[in-house]
Amino acid sequence: MYTLGVDIGSTTAKAVILENGERIVASSIIIATVGTSGVQNAVTEVLDKSGLRMEDMTAVVATGYGRQTYEQADYQISELSCHAIGAHFVFPDVHTVIDIGGQDAKVLSLNERGQLANFAMNDKCAAGTGRFLDVMASILNLKISDLEKEAAKATEPAQISSTCTVFAESEVISQLANGVKIPDVVAGICSSVASRVASLVRRVGVQEKVCMTGGVAQNGGVRLALEKELGVPILYDDKAQLMGALGASLYAFNKENKKNNT
Amino acid sequence: MTSKEIFAKLHEVAFNPKQQLNQYLADGKKVVLVTYYTPNEIIHSMGLVPMGVWGADIQLNQSKKYFPAFICSIMQSILELGINGTYKGASALVVPSLCDSLKCIGQNWKYAVKDIPFIPMSYPQNRKPDYGKRFTKAGYERVISDLEAITGAHFSDDNLRVSNHIYNEHNAVMREFAEVASEYEVSAQERSDVFKSAWFMLPEEHTTLVKELIERLKEGPKDSRKVRVLVSGILADAPQLLELFEKYGIKVAFDDVCDESRQYKKDVPETIQNPMDGLVEKFCSMDDDTLLYDADKKRVDYIVTEAQKHHAEGVIVLMTKFCDPEEFDYVPIKRACEKAGLHQVNIEVDRQMVNYEQAATQLEAFSELF
Repeated sequence: MYTLGVDIGSTTAKAVILENGERIVASSIIIATVGTSGVQNAVTEVLDKSGLRMEDMTAVVATGYGRQTYEQADYQISELSCHAIGAHFVFPDVHTVIDIGGQDAKVLSLNERGQLANFAMNDKCAAGTGRFLDVMASILNLKISDLEKEAAKATEPAQISSTCTVFAESEVISQLANGVKIPDVVAGICSSVASRVASLVRRVGVQEKVCMTGGVAQNGGVRLALEKELGVPILYDDKAQLMGALGASLYAFNKENKKNNT
Repeated sequence: MTSKEIFAKLHEVAFNPKQQLNQYLADGKKVVLVTYYTPNEIIHSMGLVPMGVWGADIQLNQSKKYFPAFICSIMQSILELGINGTYKGASALVVPSLCDSLKCIGQNWKYAVKDIPFIPMSYPQNRKPDYGKRFTKAGYERVISDLEAITGAHFSDDNLRVSNHIYNEHNAVMREFAEVASEYEVSAQERSDVFKSAWFMLPEEHTTLVKELIERLKEGPKDSRKVRVLVSGILADAPQLLELFEKYGIKVAFDDVCDESRQYKKDVPETIQNPMDGLVEKFCSMDDDTLLYDADKKRVDYIVTEAQKHHAEGVIVLMTKFCDPEEFDYVPIKRACEKAGLHQVNIEVDRQMVNYEQAATQLEAFSELF
């Protein structure tokens, strides 16, 4: 049985095809915002990669910010539940999932069976999200993918406000004007995101093992800063950004499997 | 009338307070604007119509001149509506001193809305001791004297006794509605309409309608939704938000919302001979409320107890942005819910919400926990 999970996020569209809820056949990530052709491109790409057709999919599940708008979905489910399912699949003994996406941050608490038991989301504010990093990278004229290696070069990380993206932007400009080196500013930015997200994690409770999912998880600078803030190791997998789509695909498999067994 | 017809009427009132205001004015009545725990019985007893002001989901323009950016949007929108003439025709605005934001509105109102006088109602922090009761009584007497000077209406103990009784009856009916709405099929929007319309109608008119509604609801089907919650917060009236409750199959089993059930918990003890003393006793005996000082935070246990009593397995806290008292209470509420095995979620809301996507994700994920 093939199932397709589609995660339509605020800045990227992701798709994962699973075979029998066990093997990832193909995946795709397209940078595009909700409401564009991004989701269709992601689905086309994942089907091309797998050599399968849409008709081969037993079930399609949509999740993410744009889940309501994807008409080809058989079911839709919140991205929080999907990240919980996906993270449990990759790390069976994980109890806390930190998902930092393009425009929000979420912390999930999983019970012993890997089910979502509790969660917290950031306030309506860009601080502590991927958007914060986008804004800061743009000021520094860096690519997002450069942030990790720049942060690694830091010798005296700068202090950046964790309160507000707009204020932090001014702070970064002031730091640069004062001659602070770019790697130190970048390390300060990563710590700023980590500090903001850590308070959200503490709201739910730090229960090991802890993993990171979502696009920002790819940034080692933020991961390291979060490990320091929380004082626990943070698990990471290169499928971090696909975790929502993976969870959606697994949800589709479980749903169909249950249907077939009743 | 059928329950649908009564709900439609109350919805109309809840969404058209201006029409209600104009109707009362056309009938030759004087209208006094009221907010949270204002002595509505006194206003009513003087032949005036108390009408609630809880702001509106509008763009804030002129009111921003008077407040810092990070302050309660409910209060800001009340001032905005005052400035833009929405309350035109009202005789006065009575505001209690129950939170820091409410304390701010008076002076700004005096400067910004010159045609509607502001009457402060100063409540004591410590309301239980005798000196707290005397302070409360002095506050009520100040309201009476201001109302008499502004409107020309007169106060009498006998009239207050009658109004106390009318309000007690309304309280009882609203409490019964909350119980019936918990058991029978009532949508989140319909439930909200009943509570919200109460702020824009005379209590005796509202009592009659809600009494009839209760009888009709009891003839209908019982609610069978799986996800039953207690909703807590300052306000829970945004239609887009209430729609999400329906979309994700969430039943409001009970509430701890400022402009809903919190208003109807206590009656004036009619056994107290002096009706003013009775009204003072009503306020001073109130508890379990964000804005009423309580070092022991008994409200936390109240929320858990009421959730369990109403077979709710979850608590949804609708956190009004920049509301310090509510934010202070949230941590113990969260811990108590977790200890009691109740799911809980904190959703930030304010009067200027245009996008409910984040709330939708939280409510959808919350419903998936059950």
